[in-house]
Amino acid sequence: MASLYEVIIMGIVSIVRVEPWLAATIASGIAIGVSAVLMTLYYSLKTKTSRVTDVYLSGEPENVVSMIMPSIAALYWGFIKRFAKSLYKALIDKVHTGSLHDWYKFISSWFALLILLAVIALVLAFVGW
Amino acid sequence: MFVEQIVVALISVFVFPGLIFTAALAFFTQYLIRKLSARFQRRMGPSYVGPFGVLQPFYDFLKLLRAKELVRTRFSMVRVAEVSLVIGIAFLIAALTFLPISIFRLQSELDVFVFFYMASVIPFIVKVIASIAMPGPYTSIGVSRMLSMATITEPAFFASIVIPVYLASKQGNVPFMSLSSYANVAKLWTNPVTAIVLLLNLIAYMVSLQAKAMYQPFNIPEAEQEIIAGFETEFSGPLLALAKLFHDIEVSVSLLLGVYVFLGGPLPFNHLSVEGVAIMIIKYLALVTIITFIKNIMGRYRIDQALLQVFKYSLVPAIIGAIVAMIV
Repeated sequence: MASLYEVIIMGIVSIVRVEPWLAATIASGIAIGVSAVLMTLYYSLKTKTSRVTDVYLSGEPENVVSMIMPSIAALYWGFIKRFAKSLYKALIDKVHTGSLHDWYKFISSWFALLILLAVIALVLAFVGW
Repeated sequence: MFVEQIVVALISVFVFPGLIFTAALAFFTQYLIRKLSARFQRRMGPSYVGPFGVLQPFYDFLKLLRAKELVRTRFSMVRVAEVSLVIGIAFLIAALTFLPISIFRLQSELDVFVFFYMASVIPFIVKVIASIAMPGPYTSIGVSRMLSMATITEPAFFASIVIPVYLASKQGNVPFMSLSSYANVAKLWTNPVTAIVLLLNLIAYMVSLQAKAMYQPFNIPEAEQEIIAGFETEFSGPLLALAKLFHDIEVSVSLLLGVYVFLGGPLPFNHLSVEGVAIMIIKYLALVTIITFIKNIMGRYRIDQALLQVFKYSLVPAIIGAIVAMIV
């Protein structure tokens, strides 16, 4: 014999067997109704206080993202770091080691090459080539 | 008769198992996860609000909704975010009408597909819309990670649910691929071949649910500390309350789905018996305990690792399950 609880529940439960499209339509209608109720509840209960701040960019000001395109320097360093890794590595390992001696060696070697090129160009100019 | 059905539908949608019950279940689920996680980490967890701290999630929600201010930038579209999240919650609640727990139940062929759209696809889309309506650099990273994860998580979750429903509905008495087929799940577990399919899909379901809920090890879209709070970094005050409620309801509805599809709901009893209700609660708690256990024993995967792991442990078992299901 069914208990009172079962009798009450059996009397309440309602199963509606419909076509899939109708099921989707009814369920969407229910969702719209619930949305309306929830929105009413939410907007009547929520606090009205709000504060406007700058976008949080790890401490940077907003103008770091204000340009339409990245700056030339950013593009250059982006290219060097992403696509010319070996060149960037060479610069870091040979020039920017933190030792003034390394920097002097690197610069003087290039400087010597430039002087050599200048001397060759001068000689060639004198001989009329 | 029609008026009676309307009244039952209204009670079902707004009281049980609708808005009020689902919100209460979501808060309780959040409490359980927080309390169990605290015990894993030798902390007390929520303890002071209500008996054993059970009302803490509700109190947190109220505090965010009523007391905390909403912080926004000049690029924020607060109304869009709020309306999106409300629609997401409404669709999750409306989807419950397809589950056998509902006192006003919609039943049709292929209703599992409608359920999936309402309880998984639409909530995901509104979550993305709400996040990008409150833009910020960390939000962008979080949303891009969330979208990457969804490419594997959603198909895996879908497959893990559809295959057991397909097998159960083949046993008869219910419309084809209807969620009402839960009553035949016991037969599937007693058959060795279908039991393997069910087990594979249960694994796929648990892994994809972990990823959908963004719990460790798949919490890369919110990656606390690394990208602040990822997709929800810019949510605050009442909007954060709404987002948290939305998340908890999504987890609760997904768990209820698992209770029916894999564990047979109140079986071997029925919904109307005290034993049936008790066994459903036990099954639900078991699933909550499993996801909390995984959440607490795992670290966070990187996005590439997370995608690979969801693929390996969720999509592949689901595909194998689908192939075996087609053969039998």
